[in-house]
Amino acid sequence: MKHKNILSIIACAIAAVISITPIYAHETLHAMGSTTVMPVVSEAATAFYKAHPDISITVSGGGSGVGIAAMIQHTAQIGMASRNTSPEEQAKLNEWVDNIVIARDAVAVVVSKEVYLGGVTHLSLAQIARIYRGQITNWKQLGGPDAQILAIDKEASRGTRHVFAEAVLGNAHARAPGASLISGSNNEEQAIVARSHQAIGMLSNAWLNDRVRGIAIDMDGVAISPTLEQIRNGHYPISRGLHILIAKDASPAARAFVQFLLSEKGQGIVKKVGYLPIH
Amino acid sequence: MILLKPGLYLITSFIALLVLAVPFFLVQASAPFWASAGIKVLTGTEWFPYEMLFGMLPAIIGSTWAILIALFIAIPCGVATAIVTTELVSSSLASATRMGMEVLAAIPSIVYGLIGLWLLLPLLQSSFDLLSGHSLLAAGLILALMILPLITLMSMDALRLVSNTQREAGMSLGLSWEALLFRVLLPQAWPAIRGGILLAMGRALGETMAVMLVVGSLDRMPEPIMNILQPAQTLTSRIGREIGEAAFGSIHFSALMACGLLLALIGLSISLFAHTRVVKA
Repeated sequence: MKHKNILSIIACAIAAVISITPIYAHETLHAMGSTTVMPVVSEAATAFYKAHPDISITVSGGGSGVGIAAMIQHTAQIGMASRNTSPEEQAKLNEWVDNIVIARDAVAVVVSKEVYLGGVTHLSLAQIARIYRGQITNWKQLGGPDAQILAIDKEASRGTRHVFAEAVLGNAHARAPGASLISGSNNEEQAIVARSHQAIGMLSNAWLNDRVRGIAIDMDGVAISPTLEQIRNGHYPISRGLHILIAKDASPAARAFVQFLLSEKGQGIVKKVGYLPIH
Repeated sequence: MILLKPGLYLITSFIALLVLAVPFFLVQASAPFWASAGIKVLTGTEWFPYEMLFGMLPAIIGSTWAILIALFIAIPCGVATAIVTTELVSSSLASATRMGMEVLAAIPSIVYGLIGLWLLLPLLQSSFDLLSGHSLLAAGLILALMILPLITLMSMDALRLVSNTQREAGMSLGLSWEALLFRVLLPQAWPAIRGGILLAMGRALGETMAVMLVVGSLDRMPEPIMNILQPAQTLTSRIGREIGEAAFGSIHFSALMACGLLLALIGLSISLFAHTRVVKA
């Protein structure tokens, strides 16, 4: 008898869950990839949810490589990438994925506050390359304080790493024997630079702050800072598009979200986060 | 009740199947890598997946150092704490210690990683005059903190299980406390303490998140090889950093599975070593 009771309770519970589910059934979209694009998408997801409570969007990082891999492996509906897809990746995405640029930003070359105040406020691409190749190891050699350089590299999967290494070292996967640390997300890199007195690293321009200063890049004798203005006029040498990847046959909900990102409201969020809107 | 025995057998055979299936999966997933790169990667020192270079040695050495440091610190500390709390102080203090250790054991590893990032690294940086503090020593210290509860709790249980008549017999023979400890208590408790150490080692071997945040993830040989103050790489931290990007089925993915297989083999060999040693002793 006892068993029968328990069974009927379980049956009732299951029936209740099943009958309630349709009321709360809403579409869940998963966005994954670049931690540079992430702040825009998560903020937009919150705003979008207010207007469409039936569509919720979960957002997670991992890096551009992870976002693109997630699209290829169908583990996310929306991919985020802060770099162009490689030819091999493009071959797997060509037929069925749309690649949409929602914003532009600069990969800033960042240094610790002490280095910046110590006199290193601008460097040429060649000088930065020599740091990452291990040929310059002390800030004194660049007119800065007498401190060893802590050069921070990023995981190979990171879009920022691709764009930086391509512009500075000539190849997205170039080795950086001068690097003494590998970091992951923008947050991690920002924390390490902020904590150090002698670090150099690469970060999206929206991650700069008092402890993490972006230096200007010398181009033909002119020092160009990683500002929105210099990205817009194309003078800053390490800038890029921030991409959203979405399947051509994506659900209307996913399409609507991408449209929202491109709308005036969405582009307002882009601006608020610190990137350059595309319009 | 008639179904009890068959039920238990069923569950056990399911577990046995799992125990066989996981290594099988690792072997199968890493097979393409072993086939294409060969066994020589074990002594290779360069890991550049984009250039098809998969040298495993830096990460193997990194993992080994991190575990040795952790065990070197956590075993004496854990066993000492267990001896003091079970043999020397009041039982209320012992249960307070137990509760504290259980709390430590329940803290998620990412929190340990952040503690390491914000407290341990600056401390190491200033005390050893390092570039950043990211190092194998940092990884070892964080791992020591993480496995300390396991070793302490298992050792406390082991000592408590030694029957009081043994203690009384020892004391009535006029044994000093030291003699009682080393000749009676620890030898009897040792098999269980060793079990705790093996479990702890398993946790240290597999820990990814906390290690990843403090080790520096730099795939380079320590120079010289006993230099534990430089940023380095462990097998787990490499898997954690790269698995998201490695396309399923690629050689890179297979290479990361090979790292997992190596970890499993290291764990197995240490466990076998511990068993044979004890049987002989």
